[in-house]
Amino acid sequence: MVDVLTVLLASVAAGLLGSLVGLGGGVVMIPILVLLGVPVKYAIAASMVTIIATSSGSAASYVRDKIANIRAGMFLEMFTIVGAILGASITSLIAEKVLYFVFAGILLTSFFALRSRPPPETLPVVEQDRLAKALRLGGSYYDKSLGREVSYKMTRPLAGGIGMFVAGIAAGMLGIGAGAFKVSVHELILKMPPKVSTTTSNFIIGITALAGASVYFVSGLVYFDLAAPMLIGTTLGAVLGGRILNRIASSSLRALFLVVLLLVLLEMVYKGFTV
Amino acid sequence: MKREVNDLETVIGFILLGGVVVSLVVEGLGLLDYVITLGSLNIVFSPEWQTGGKDFFVYTWSVLASLPRGVTPVSLIGLGVILLMITPYLRVLASLIYFGVEKNLKYVLITAFVLVVLTASLLAY
Repeated sequence: MVDVLTVLLASVAAGLLGSLVGLGGGVVMIPILVLLGVPVKYAIAASMVTIIATSSGSAASYVRDKIANIRAGMFLEMFTIVGAILGASITSLIAEKVLYFVFAGILLTSFFALRSRPPPETLPVVEQDRLAKALRLGGSYYDKSLGREVSYKMTRPLAGGIGMFVAGIAAGMLGIGAGAFKVSVHELILKMPPKVSTTTSNFIIGITALAGASVYFVSGLVYFDLAAPMLIGTTLGAVLGGRILNRIASSSLRALFLVVLLLVLLEMVYKGFTV
Repeated sequence: MKREVNDLETVIGFILLGGVVVSLVVEGLGLLDYVITLGSLNIVFSPEWQTGGKDFFVYTWSVLASLPRGVTPVSLIGLGVILLMITPYLRVLASLIYFGVEKNLKYVLITAFVLVVLTASLLAY
């Protein structure tokens, strides 16, 4: 039987590691819980609640620093919440076996996303389409490393919205933030600058997680005695990670996280075949 | 105009941070109470630890109504989860009011849509 202290410690570790490599903790925390004997649907539901805390906590500072784009966030949330409700509803209904394989698929994409090096931070030149203009999607933020105000524009919000709907389904179904996927949509389709895309994604994840969590909440899959240590631990770990981020070499960390991802990936595939 | 947008950002930042901090403190107290009163740390997955089919608002009411009769680990930890879930919800509500004051119809509609969908999903499944 799993106990509060084990979950608390595992969550601190997952939150710490997740924030250091820029992926959320959920994607490793759920397989860890499954390993500890927690039914996968309960793990997903508790993780969904946890993500509200971690993403809202970090979004708070990005929003106050005026880096996250609230307008774009609000627009894209329309799509992610519908996706998340759909995804969470699917999970409430389908067999566990299917979930393990879908989860393994997401872990595989995280593995490859993390393996490829992030592109250099260049600002794309953007020709806005009509909807982007009408929604006034664009803005500016103060870039500390450049020491000046950076202005930018966005484009193709509708195509971006469809991408975010898909991200919402994945997030709601698996109890994760799907941050890496959201950031890709922001940068590749909407042409957001990297700093704006990661912070705006964080802002959106809180609402997406709430939409998914509400479905799990009402369907009785959220067990509060599991969620409580998880959300305290993960948030502590994430705060700690944010503080030491600049002090450790990131390449060795990435290697460590890749190994962890590979291990939990194997675990999920194994569970999928044996359950 | 620019100044007003900055105000929205300050309010949203405050709601998000305040909500998370308060809910984490309540969860921490609840866990402490759990360990002290039950003397056990096992996670049991028994029905008292979930909503029992109640929607968010009915569950919130049942927790609040139980508080005058005394605080239990279950009600404290339940309250922490409620406070956490209400945090992003309040953030959307604040944005709606803000865009309304700004008379920004497009964003009023966008934010209203988000709020209606969230309310519906919290109400019933």
